[in-house]
Amino acid sequence: MRVYVVDNGGQWTHREWRVLRDLGVEARIVPNTTPFDHLGQVDALVLSGGAPDVASEAARMGNNGEYLDRADCPILGICAGMQFMAAHFGGRTGPAARAEFGRTRLYVDEEDQLFVGIPKEFDVWESHNDEVKDVPEGFQALAHSETCAVEAMRSLRRPLYAVQFHPEVENTAFGTDIFRNFLRAVEEWRR
Amino acid sequence: MFDPRAFVEEKVDELRRTITGKAIIACSGGVDSTVAAVLVDRAIGERLRAVYVDTGLMRKGETEEVRRMFDRLGVHYRIVDASGEFFAALKGQVDPERKRKAIGERFIRVFEREAREFGAEYLVQGTIAPDWIESGDGVRDTIKSHHNVGGLPKDMALRLVEPLWDLYKDEVRAVARFLGVEVSERQPFPGPALAIRVIGEANPESVGVVREACAIVEEELEAAARNGSMVRPWQYFAVLLPVQSVGVQGDRRAYGRTIAIRAVESVDAMTAAFSRVPYDVLERISLRITNEMKANVNRVVYDITNKPPATIEWE
Repeated sequence: MRVYVVDNGGQWTHREWRVLRDLGVEARIVPNTTPFDHLGQVDALVLSGGAPDVASEAARMGNNGEYLDRADCPILGICAGMQFMAAHFGGRTGPAARAEFGRTRLYVDEEDQLFVGIPKEFDVWESHNDEVKDVPEGFQALAHSETCAVEAMRSLRRPLYAVQFHPEVENTAFGTDIFRNFLRAVEEWRR
Repeated sequence: MFDPRAFVEEKVDELRRTITGKAIIACSGGVDSTVAAVLVDRAIGERLRAVYVDTGLMRKGETEEVRRMFDRLGVHYRIVDASGEFFAALKGQVDPERKRKAIGERFIRVFEREAREFGAEYLVQGTIAPDWIESGDGVRDTIKSHHNVGGLPKDMALRLVEPLWDLYKDEVRAVARFLGVEVSERQPFPGPALAIRVIGEANPESVGVVREACAIVEEELEAAARNGSMVRPWQYFAVLLPVQSVGVQGDRRAYGRTIAIRAVESVDAMTAAFSRVPYDVLERISLRITNEMKANVNRVVYDITNKPPATIEWE
């Protein structure tokens, strides 16, 4: 299985690559300026986090929009990757009333595919100033925290998944399980 | 999963092909640069010289300890005393990025001289993933310029070789254990050394104060770990703050500086949680610092910030 991590300039982009590699996937980091047609044969994409404010700095998010429009494979958006996905499909994003940095309690509302076999409540690590206020039409929110209503979402029509927190860092509990669940969804999509 | 044996085989082979002439390695005696030294030593043997720079910013007894370690390791090495030029470069510098860049440039100037003397055209560094990630690039913000990446001068003459580029500390330790490198479990210590544990200007006086405080923190936490009252933290040190506060010492008014104790748990330095150090261990550290260093420090605080939003070191 081949999974590319689209680099949106996150501190933990390389961590995403490492977790995927450790799960036995052929993983590669690609710049977000890579044209979609140059991606070639790929089974899934991970849109990394990064410093850009997706509303005012869309240019720094490169070709993420093209990937979301043209790729039919599963995509996992993380942090800014999730915010971009939400904004791209008509959802609403903006500065969070209270930022979340470091340890945050996550409450899972919908087990869905991403959270299968994981407790309903656990600690995740975050690093965000902005958040998704309203999920786009055709998407469902899957988890929340005390101060952030949308900590995870998925499309009801396509294999698009997204999380606001960072499953790729060591301190997030069950982070590897979330990636494993995503890869399972990729397997199903391939069949 | 990461396989140290396969990594070593692949890298030694790659290094043998890449380094066609002589090389020097910037080696602090820490786990990253020592592992890199062993890999390159296996690849090119006598064509490698390890260079340890005594910047004047090292911890108590560190240079002597590293000298003994190099002797046991059996690599060719040279210890260069460059403390004068490092302190000259740091004079008047209070901005963390300017301090880091001044140090990065000094390192390279020393290595250029050493390379010329040895006839080397390659400089090997033990750069690991967090160094280049945090130094920033076209798409990534600069969190801090690591001396070996973001602190490099643009006009550098040496060709860089960085075999550990994609690894994190836990993977480097796995390689170190596989190679039997004795410093495999040593706590991380940044290249700019004690200069970034002094908030404000790093000079022989301020560095001397934080050196003493770091030694006390290390001694006490290691003793507590040995006697079973806690597990040794992943990284632990003292920071000298320019904040002065009022105290009372033997019925006399005191107005001294502040030491912050930092101890964190991490795997890869990309995220970290502050250590739950028992209060009685913290108290011992506080008592020792305020009693033994009474002329300089009269207040000790404990840093309870995770990364993010803080970083492990303060600068």
